[in-house]
Amino acid sequence: MRQTLSFIVNGEKKTLELDGWEKLLEILRDKLELTGTKCGCDDASCGACVVVVNGKAEKSCVFPIAKLQGAEVVTIEGLGKGRELHPIQQAMIDGGAVQCGYCIPGIIMELYALFTKTPDADETEITNALSKHFCRCTGYESIMKSALLAQKYMR
Amino acid sequence: MRFIVNIVVVIRIITEEVEVKYKYVGKSIKRPDAVKKVTGKAQYLDDLKLPGMLYAAILRPEYAHAKIVSIDISQAEACEGVVKVVTGKGCDFKYGDNIRDLTPMAVDKVRHIGEPVAAVVATNKYLARQALKKIIVKYEPLPVYIQAIDAMKKDAALIHENSGDYWHLPGLGPKPGTNIANYYKLNKGDIDAGFNDADAFAEAEFNFPLGSCAAIEPHGSIAWFHEDKTIEIWSSSICPFIIREEIARVYDLPESDVRVHIPELGGCFGYKSDITVEQTIAWIASFVPGHPVKWVATRKEDFLSTLLGHGMRIRMKVGAKKDGKLTALQTTVYHTTGAYSDTGVHVSIAAGHNSAGTYDFPNIFQESYLVYTNTPPVGAWRGYGHPEGQFAIERLMDILARKLKMSPFEIREKNYLGPGKTSSLGERMYTANGDVRKCVEIVKKAVFEKEKPAEDDKYYYGRGFSALMKTPKGAPFSSKGCYMKFNADGSVSINMGGAEVGQGLRTVVRQIAAESLKIPPEKIRVYTEIDTQFSPWEWQTIGSMFTLQGGMAIVKAAARAIAMLKKTAAQVLRVEEDVLDYDGEYVFLKNDPDLKIEIQRLVRGYMYENGMVAGEVVQTTADGRLPRYSGADPETGQGTMGVSYTFGAQGCEIRIDKKTGEIIVDHFASSFDVGKVINPEQIRGQITGGVMMSLGATLYEEVKFDGDGKCLNPHFSKYRFPNIKDSPKKYTIECVETPEAIGPFGARGIGEHPVIGVASSVLNAIYDAIGIDFHEIPVTPEKIKKALADKSSKQ
Repeated sequence: MRQTLSFIVNGEKKTLELDGWEKLLEILRDKLELTGTKCGCDDASCGACVVVVNGKAEKSCVFPIAKLQGAEVVTIEGLGKGRELHPIQQAMIDGGAVQCGYCIPGIIMELYALFTKTPDADETEITNALSKHFCRCTGYESIMKSALLAQKYMR
Repeated sequence: MRFIVNIVVVIRIITEEVEVKYKYVGKSIKRPDAVKKVTGKAQYLDDLKLPGMLYAAILRPEYAHAKIVSIDISQAEACEGVVKVVTGKGCDFKYGDNIRDLTPMAVDKVRHIGEPVAAVVATNKYLARQALKKIIVKYEPLPVYIQAIDAMKKDAALIHENSGDYWHLPGLGPKPGTNIANYYKLNKGDIDAGFNDADAFAEAEFNFPLGSCAAIEPHGSIAWFHEDKTIEIWSSSICPFIIREEIARVYDLPESDVRVHIPELGGCFGYKSDITVEQTIAWIASFVPGHPVKWVATRKEDFLSTLLGHGMRIRMKVGAKKDGKLTALQTTVYHTTGAYSDTGVHVSIAAGHNSAGTYDFPNIFQESYLVYTNTPPVGAWRGYGHPEGQFAIERLMDILARKLKMSPFEIREKNYLGPGKTSSLGERMYTANGDVRKCVEIVKKAVFEKEKPAEDDKYYYGRGFSALMKTPKGAPFSSKGCYMKFNADGSVSINMGGAEVGQGLRTVVRQIAAESLKIPPEKIRVYTEIDTQFSPWEWQTIGSMFTLQGGMAIVKAAARAIAMLKKTAAQVLRVEEDVLDYDGEYVFLKNDPDLKIEIQRLVRGYMYENGMVAGEVVQTTADGRLPRYSGADPETGQGTMGVSYTFGAQGCEIRIDKKTGEIIVDHFASSFDVGKVINPEQIRGQITGGVMMSLGATLYEEVKFDGDGKCLNPHFSKYRFPNIKDSPKKYTIECVETPEAIGPFGARGIGEHPVIGVASSVLNAIYDAIGIDFHEIPVTPEKIKKALADKSSKQ
């Protein structure tokens, strides 16, 4: 069913005509060309597509379109300012967490939501948040190290 | 709190050679691609949008083995947005670069549950998938075989009726009239004499079941048949040149008329090698010339319609003298290779000849049966036969040690390969192959020095150990090429055909080039995408070979560039080249360094004041390969198929939860003799990632099929993929550096090695904890609970 969607993406108001089958993931990737948000699975299990909706980390592959009207969405493209990286992005590089890079946007957005709300999240909270995300490359050690580094950078 | 991060990333390096000071090699230089990846701007296959692009969806069969009676596409053709519906009708070619048994789309039968049966090309992927449901296929089911041993039975129906007609490389190939797709055997010494000589034996059957590489980026391709008859392909593959060769062959074009692009890759771990989905997407796109056609696997398709890993049952027997000296090894590999064998054949061969591990066996008889089954085809999975074969030998070494009342360390110590010994392949070992004993000492100290905690109310505690060996598994023509171009300002652009899958290859290129050219890494720009139109030829980026071979190509290209700079400078300074030196900024006279020319004035030839130019533009090419690599001797199965050997050791401390049966890995230690650490941070990332991946295979992961060949868990919600909570809370990682004679600055590869000794270390630790020998993985909590219950009921 065709419908019109108005919402805010990375600070800009967008109004789109939808065919009815698109999920937030496809809206971002196919309609708005924000391809930094990735698709890694088909049953909301891998976390690669996580974006921030109204301050919360959400899987864009299953987020209900009905709740998107008027919502505020932040994607990986909305974090840095031109050549200036967001501290979480910088921490991912400095902590050696980047390998293939496919899971990284989702992980950064998860941490962005967590640290915006809870800047002093402890390791258990960080682990719980990141346990929704799959990474095949790193074994997670460098991701945790980068998350802790990001907290420092954001202080 | 299970997860405590080890913040300090330190890699202690043991070097007994005279310390060579390198300026850029050995430093944790940052990845050149990191910023693009953290900003979401790196372009992966699914991020590409081309003008006029159409989208394909592919129909998979309802049966794992069946004749196709009819396909009705009429309703699908009438659906909204549908441009074309494609079947395999009329497809008269097979493909593959080892055993040509693959077909782009099923023609008259289907052989596994993930096979392409038909495809819809539509204006978007949703409409393509909707129309798929309207295709009606009638099948006539055939008997289904899930395990190699069942498909090998005498009365088994043939999965490939005409396998004897398939083209194959010399020395490989199916046994017509059976489901055996290849048979390999290796003979070293006299196996009967070896067993006659033995006082003690250990024997068991091991199972390394099907698994998925499961990169987070699913496999995908775009194919575009242009009006001018050229073909353009984009693929999330590590083999652009194999794709080019095979596409050109089947569509009867010069290779130069096929252009293959490799965008950013979201992980590989093996299964994006060889040519697989590309032929299917090309077949589909050939029906809509003028339009690029994109297909990206769903996760289910990535499990069932690309390549799986492992699928090996291994029977192994070892014999030893009373004093622990090994006398004989017999290995039989039964490889469930799936419905097509092209991609699995070398995995089963490698599993065979590498099953001798790090040990000096005077007598070996080894057989590998590669068997067609009605499961998706098996291909490379990180380690390529090494994890499977050495899982068996490293478990048996512990079992044999118990029989001989020796410690696991003592029996191994008596038998390690080293200078003067010969490997299973008959290759003589030298000091430059590295030192397994140093690696063993590091792991032993890290894991076994302290007393093991005593059993308590909640947990059993155990420690396990494995030694390991890795050879590249190359091919006679497995070269890597390098194009090196000096720019006018003295910066350098490097173009190679090696695929960056996340392993950090681009950083390694930058560091080796910087060291070779004495130019800071910031002034070395490394290529991003691979494009067969511009990139130098590379066989494929597999086997942990890039650092060694690609690195040597860079070293050679740099030496040629420096020689060109000197040649021009010699002309200008009116001296012989051999009195000149080079420091990355100038070419100068050795005995009078003030007499010098800036390299910026030499790189495009030297221009005199009157505008005349002398000398050549400085851009060079070079390649690197494994010297004297050969195929297997048909009689013995031996040959120089290793060339470069890497040794290592791994060990772990585990806890087993008495109530749940859960295995918790508290500490995992790894040590490899990598020759030279190029980048400590990256090497640590390779090792922690490899260990975690292999812990997944050891404890959680298995792609399961029912008797009808239907997959029970082709989704991440059902396939237990390790997450951050599964990560060991402590890693010990220390590398040994015995320089590799043929490696750049002495370096060897590391990509696959960290997975090899994990399963055997953990299963050896399980025995240490509860006194139960497991011979198959994954060891799930249910299996532990059952084994403990069985044990207590016997007591």
